[in-house]
Amino acid sequence: MKQLLACALLLTLSGAAADKEWPTYNGDFSGRRYSSLSQINQGNVNQLTLAWSAQMRGATVKSTPLVVNGIMYVTTPDNVWALDARTGRTVWHYLRESKGDHIGQRGVGMYKDWLYFETPDCHLISLNAKDGTVRWDVELADPKLGYFATMAPLVVKDHVLVGVSGDVTDIPGFLDSRDPETGKLQWRWFSEPKPGEPGSETWPKGTDAILHGGGMAWITGTYDPESNLTYWGIGNPNPVLNGDGRKGDNLYTCSIVALDVGTGKLKWYFQPSPHDTHDWDAVQTPVLFDDTVNGVRRKFLAQGSRNGYFIVLDRTTGEHILTKPFIYTNWSSGIDSKGVPRPKAEKEPKPDGVLVSPGSDGATNWMAPSYSPDYGLFFLSARRLWSVFYMTTDAGSKPEGWAGRDRNLFAESVLEGIDYKTGDIKWRKELGDGEAVAGILTTAGKLLFTSDNAQNLVALDPATGKTLWHVPVGGAMAASPMTYELDGRQYLLTPIQNVIFAWALPEKPVK
Amino acid sequence: MTRCLALCLLATLPLLAQPAKFDAAAVERGRTQFKSSCGFCHGDDATGNRAPDLLRATSLSHDTDGDTLGPIIRNGRPDQGMPAFNTLSAAQLADMVLFLHKQAYDALHSASVPRDYPLKKLLTGNAAAGKAYFEGAGGCAACHSVTKDLAGIASKYTPLDLQQRMLYPAGPGRRTATVTLPGGKVMEGRLVHADEYEVAITAADGWYRSWPAATVKVEIHDPLAAHKAQMPKYTDADVHNLFAYLVTLK
Repeated sequence: MKQLLACALLLTLSGAAADKEWPTYNGDFSGRRYSSLSQINQGNVNQLTLAWSAQMRGATVKSTPLVVNGIMYVTTPDNVWALDARTGRTVWHYLRESKGDHIGQRGVGMYKDWLYFETPDCHLISLNAKDGTVRWDVELADPKLGYFATMAPLVVKDHVLVGVSGDVTDIPGFLDSRDPETGKLQWRWFSEPKPGEPGSETWPKGTDAILHGGGMAWITGTYDPESNLTYWGIGNPNPVLNGDGRKGDNLYTCSIVALDVGTGKLKWYFQPSPHDTHDWDAVQTPVLFDDTVNGVRRKFLAQGSRNGYFIVLDRTTGEHILTKPFIYTNWSSGIDSKGVPRPKAEKEPKPDGVLVSPGSDGATNWMAPSYSPDYGLFFLSARRLWSVFYMTTDAGSKPEGWAGRDRNLFAESVLEGIDYKTGDIKWRKELGDGEAVAGILTTAGKLLFTSDNAQNLVALDPATGKTLWHVPVGGAMAASPMTYELDGRQYLLTPIQNVIFAWALPEKPVK
Repeated sequence: MTRCLALCLLATLPLLAQPAKFDAAAVERGRTQFKSSCGFCHGDDATGNRAPDLLRATSLSHDTDGDTLGPIIRNGRPDQGMPAFNTLSAAQLADMVLFLHKQAYDALHSASVPRDYPLKKLLTGNAAAGKAYFEGAGGCAACHSVTKDLAGIASKYTPLDLQQRMLYPAGPGRRTATVTLPGGKVMEGRLVHADEYEVAITAADGWYRSWPAATVKVEIHDPLAAHKAQMPKYTDADVHNLFAYLVTLK
């Protein structure tokens, strides 16, 4: 039954390609980062061996590679490589040096024979997947205003969905749908409504706050083919730590939004962090999964949000189902009738410092979560993180940019397996001091792959969190693991700093 | 966005690439000139009033040494109701442009707490209440003494660092471990590494030693455990009172 259910899910949620490949940032449209491959499984994971490795010169690999037709596409800022997925050897390399923020690059999107790549100076570039030559190059936003770009485009039918980054200046966020053939704009959805539109009442009237409100969509969204809705997490408002000039809930910043892919129209929204003043964007992957509850098939969306709350919604209607903290937090006065944690005014940043959990780096962040239909568990890299928030704007002056900052006291990281039905944490595994940055992969081999803060790559039992395999790899995984099958052999792929390790079972079975 | 992100931004954004060296006298001349010529509409600090916030304006973001702003100021924008300021000298214009860039620079660099953050902003608590917390509910006196380890503490750190260190003093480097080996031998030392799979210490003889975690019994001693445990117990008033008390320890 579980297998049947899993197959049904793949049919509805995965892209066109078979699950032997990894054709989009999250592997499929659901964002579950669950692979049906099971050649590597609990019975043999301790036999994993290195199949190949590849050194990507320069920056840390923070992207999730794609694998299509035996070719792997991997990125760092300014760089795209095509590698032979069997050996790691370079097929071609594209380099476009640019100005702008080089903090990270999360991967490419693919449509037919074309790749889509975002650059630090906010360009969207279409490359020929065969040889890395440029097909077209369009600017998404003006980098001189403070925009930059890192995210992996989401390709849905004939739409390339792209967001941008930036919050050191007060600039509006947006999500674009671009024509895959030409790069031309099909629609643009702004993170803030226009004055007078629904949602604008959550901003002050008679000021320019709503026009500069922030809200970057900087992590790849998800998609449900049945409803033709795409789901995105929206970033934090600006000025970041000072909300005095933007009283109100500040829609649609720090929200999960459901948009019609054809038109870009908003179907519903849910705002995990109303009137955010702690940099807790809600961009964490909105993960889609189905389950049968009391004999009825239900369609869910779950997010482990940066503010420390685990949220489950009905993804068709946006109806709230569950809100529950996954770490200790002290900033909310309680969850309202709509399931929204309301902020306490006394925990907004102050000139003399306010002690808050979590800090601005978040109870979780960009690291990919995972959902396994085999267990009904949502897996999350969480942090116990305490910080003191200072609002540094002088009294009477208009806040601009960040207008404050928090200073971290300490952080501890913990991997959690959360029961989506109750929000209860079924198991926790300590990952060590500091802020974990590794994403998570689960597979039908009944395995969970991630990395701890001591530079161990680990395979865990998803039911219990117990370690089944580990190897010290001498560096941090700042990306998410992925898996694919080629020539009948399953590979586990783990970028560790600037080195990619591909793991597999020995070519001849070990007796 | 992340702390790291902001730091990287400060290092790499082209509009921040210029060093933060502004001629302070020129900026002040520019501030005065701007106030008298432009402040009525754009606000004295250029963050907008009847006319737009210039810190968020494309014309300023794209400007280099007045090449964009200069013509706008000299010629005005009659279609938008902005008059021409064509009697300004080149020097006056340059000062005003510099002032605007300084304002924008400050906004871009507002994602940090200055190291010289003033004591008076932090000093909102009651020292007597802080003393009572130190000796009572806070449990501080169990490990600390204001005449011994904390004597003169307020003179050793900036106010901001003092507040931070009061809450949590340092990283994990002070931990020690007691390791019991399979034969029953006990070793102690500074903890170098501990995870689920391996433990390592620097022993009393100065040598690094490590063991598979499963083969030994390990007790880790963390002198900062009480600081961590205190976090959910603090009110912000406790924090500010305690800080006000520590500030008296000069």
